[in-house]
Amino acid sequence: MANLGRKRIMLALLAMLLTGLPYLADRLAMPDLVSLGTQIAIYAIAAIGLDLLIGYTGLSSFGHAGFFGLGGYVVGILAFHAAEGTAFVGLVPGATEAWVAWPAAILVSALAALAIGALSLRTSGVSFIMITLAFAQMLFYLFVSLKTYGGDDGLGFRRRNGLPWINPRDDVAFYYVCLLVLMIVLALCHRLVRSRFGLVLLGIKQNERRMAAIGLDATRYKLAAFTLAGAIAGLAGALQANLLRFVSPDMLHWTTSGDFMVMVVLGGVGSLVGPVFGAAAMVLLQSWLAQWTEHWMIVMGPVLVAVILLTRRGIWGALGGRG
Amino acid sequence: MIPLLEVSALTKRYGGLLACNDFALSVMPGSLHALIGPNGAGKSTAIGLLSGEIVPDLGHIRLDGADITKIAMPARVKQGLTRSFQITSVLPHFTALENVAIVAQIRAGHSFRCWGDARRDRDLTDPARAMLDRVGLGARAMTRAEDLAHGEQRQLELAMALMTGARMLLLDEPMAGLGQTESQDMTALLAALKGSVTILLVEHDMDAVEALADRVSVMVAGHVIAEGSFAEMRADPAVRAAYLGEAA
Amino acid sequence: MTLLFEQLLNGLQYGVTLFLLAAGLTLVFGIMGLINLAHGSLYMIGAFVAARTQAATGSFLLAVAAGMSVAAVVGMAMEATILRRLYARDHLDQVLATFGLILFFNEAMAMIFGRQPMMAAIPDFLSGAVTFIPGVPYPIYRLAIIAVGAVVAAILYGLIVHTRIGMLVRAGATHREMVRALGVRIGLLYTLVFGLGALLAGLAGAMVGPLLSVQVGMGDRILISTFVVIVIGGIGSIRGALAGAMLVGMVDTLTRAYLPTMLKMVMASTEADGLGAGLSSMASMILMAVVLIVRPRGLFPAHG
Repeated sequence: MANLGRKRIMLALLAMLLTGLPYLADRLAMPDLVSLGTQIAIYAIAAIGLDLLIGYTGLSSFGHAGFFGLGGYVVGILAFHAAEGTAFVGLVPGATEAWVAWPAAILVSALAALAIGALSLRTSGVSFIMITLAFAQMLFYLFVSLKTYGGDDGLGFRRRNGLPWINPRDDVAFYYVCLLVLMIVLALCHRLVRSRFGLVLLGIKQNERRMAAIGLDATRYKLAAFTLAGAIAGLAGALQANLLRFVSPDMLHWTTSGDFMVMVVLGGVGSLVGPVFGAAAMVLLQSWLAQWTEHWMIVMGPVLVAVILLTRRGIWGALGGRG
Repeated sequence: MIPLLEVSALTKRYGGLLACNDFALSVMPGSLHALIGPNGAGKSTAIGLLSGEIVPDLGHIRLDGADITKIAMPARVKQGLTRSFQITSVLPHFTALENVAIVAQIRAGHSFRCWGDARRDRDLTDPARAMLDRVGLGARAMTRAEDLAHGEQRQLELAMALMTGARMLLLDEPMAGLGQTESQDMTALLAALKGSVTILLVEHDMDAVEALADRVSVMVAGHVIAEGSFAEMRADPAVRAAYLGEAA
Repeated sequence: MTLLFEQLLNGLQYGVTLFLLAAGLTLVFGIMGLINLAHGSLYMIGAFVAARTQAATGSFLLAVAAGMSVAAVVGMAMEATILRRLYARDHLDQVLATFGLILFFNEAMAMIFGRQPMMAAIPDFLSGAVTFIPGVPYPIYRLAIIAVGAVVAAILYGLIVHTRIGMLVRAGATHREMVRALGVRIGLLYTLVFGLGALLAGLAGAMVGPLLSVQVGMGDRILISTFVVIVIGGIGSIRGALAGAMLVGMVDTLTRAYLPTMLKMVMASTEADGLGAGLSSMASMILMAVVLIVRPRGLFPAHG
């Protein structure tokens, strides 16, 4: 019970801190805090999607960045065609409105996840890790090679996607949009993991052979989870594109997939809230280390190794939270 | 009367080893049929083939007259054929109740339903509770499966298998690892089930086989060498030869 | 047609490089059950050390020896301090910890050698070309790499068929308990096996120095290709690693050589160059997808 109380308090504190962040940034005269907060919220969304796989289904996907980047590129490419007045492959006109671009990003990422998942789920264990990595890297090479959309250099666009009543130039407003999306994703996933579907996923994670023996065709459920995680990553990618008004193959790079896995494990696998802490820890640690030295990765790498070797349940576990 | 489970000419080869060689078996509805044999006779392979986990090289498996040889394990369960495992295989982080309730859920379909708290769904928990009572685990419903005693886990395993609504149960050594009292409890439990569900029992505990089995098949080197009542098998010279040196 | 012959040899040579990496990775996975992302880092270390040694001493053989031994020593040190704590962990922990090691090694190489790509020279005794088909000279250096690969493959074959280590590989990862029953000094054995894998990675890195630019991150890209090789060949199988490496080497090299030209027949030249390069990078992954559809466990699945 003490744990439950502490968990509630931590959650309330986190919610207050996130809600009041722009005010805090203003008072402390640290305007960077708002963009850091936005980055945390976006990474947290993607990491929650990955936690559905790692923490709830037992699928260690190493290709999450592929869907994240794909969602970003959908927003970028639609904006590009809107600006040029042309159409994607001569058929799909450009778009700058969020209500078009964001669902499109979710849809495209979900479809890609469906296809890649259908192939990757033919294997399991280490092969699954390697294959998801390779397929995501395939998407990376695809965007590197598309010179029309900037190739290696990436693709910038002038303004964020339009949302009703919101000034696209207002960074604080965009922060709140991302925070709201994070809350919605958290709430929906919270419902999901307690539903019949969620229990099946948890069962698959614990003992897939047993699930087959009680009549479950696990592959369909794993594929559904993989597709859903891809869709969530696509949404996060769409927000990321809006944050920077720029997309590049870096979004799909395999190290980004690694970062997402780190966030999930760092925060606490299988807890949904954990990835939020993991994303915050990762973003803050990176930005803090980067202030000290340009060689911040020489510290980040060993920190990561130490965290994996020495801790078992992540930040959220250490705070006394569970599930 | 046609057999509920009918197996003919089932063959499975692993490299040079014939794990199952022209294996044939008929289990009549409502009976408890024991499959015994020395270690390495291929009993586990046979269960794997019958449940659909292993694909045979040759032969046919019929359930209630319908050929199920090419059907995968989850689909066989839906047709009423369920196996249990020799090594206890429950969902360790779920409570006993959740372990059984998820079987009820899979049986009902609707596992893509994404809303509602499934743990509080009485359509699932009520039948699961009743099943736990039936196997004598009612008082342990809220205990995590990994915290149950070994004997209780075996009972839970049986409850899960029954909850699939199986007509035909394949029980792979349900007494494995049980103490004497626990074995007797499990024997009593299976005796109570007899008649309501057809059972193929693979078992090393000969006291249990003697107490329970209507018919006994003896498997040696992947092949059924003899079949009959327990007493007939005990008297059969070929069976005695096969078991020589084994504590039977 | 003459170009095709040249490209086939190039594919063979790239396949050999991939094999040297895949063999070590699959050996470590087969015996210790460890997935080691930092394997590519050992290749990078081998390349950097060799390139710097060659620049300093002018001796290519010394450079290769230095690249191999430094990679092996770093690999064994890494195994003894960090990786052996991961054998009992799940693959997710192994991936993340070795991901941390990659970040560390990439940055360490950048700090020691700088971010400017380095280029090593082809040694005199291996420079020049031989002519198999009149009018088609082929560089001796690349032939030498192919020869080294053949020798290594033969040695590994002997090792696996005739020694105890080989028996462990053939037994597969699922029989690791058996290894303990053999009464060998497991800790030392594991370190040595890991050292062997690292040695091969270092050798691959040292040999590609004169062909590619040596730079930070070179290990990551080839690591992913190595994964593709292993998945195609069947994880844990050396024979699969060889077959997968040759396939990937050929497919990658041939698409890189011919795809842009073919695309130029149907689209604008600049577009075709970009897309052709991208598609040929993707070709081996597409091959992997096809193999997965036909044989989910790879071409030569290991036992168990």
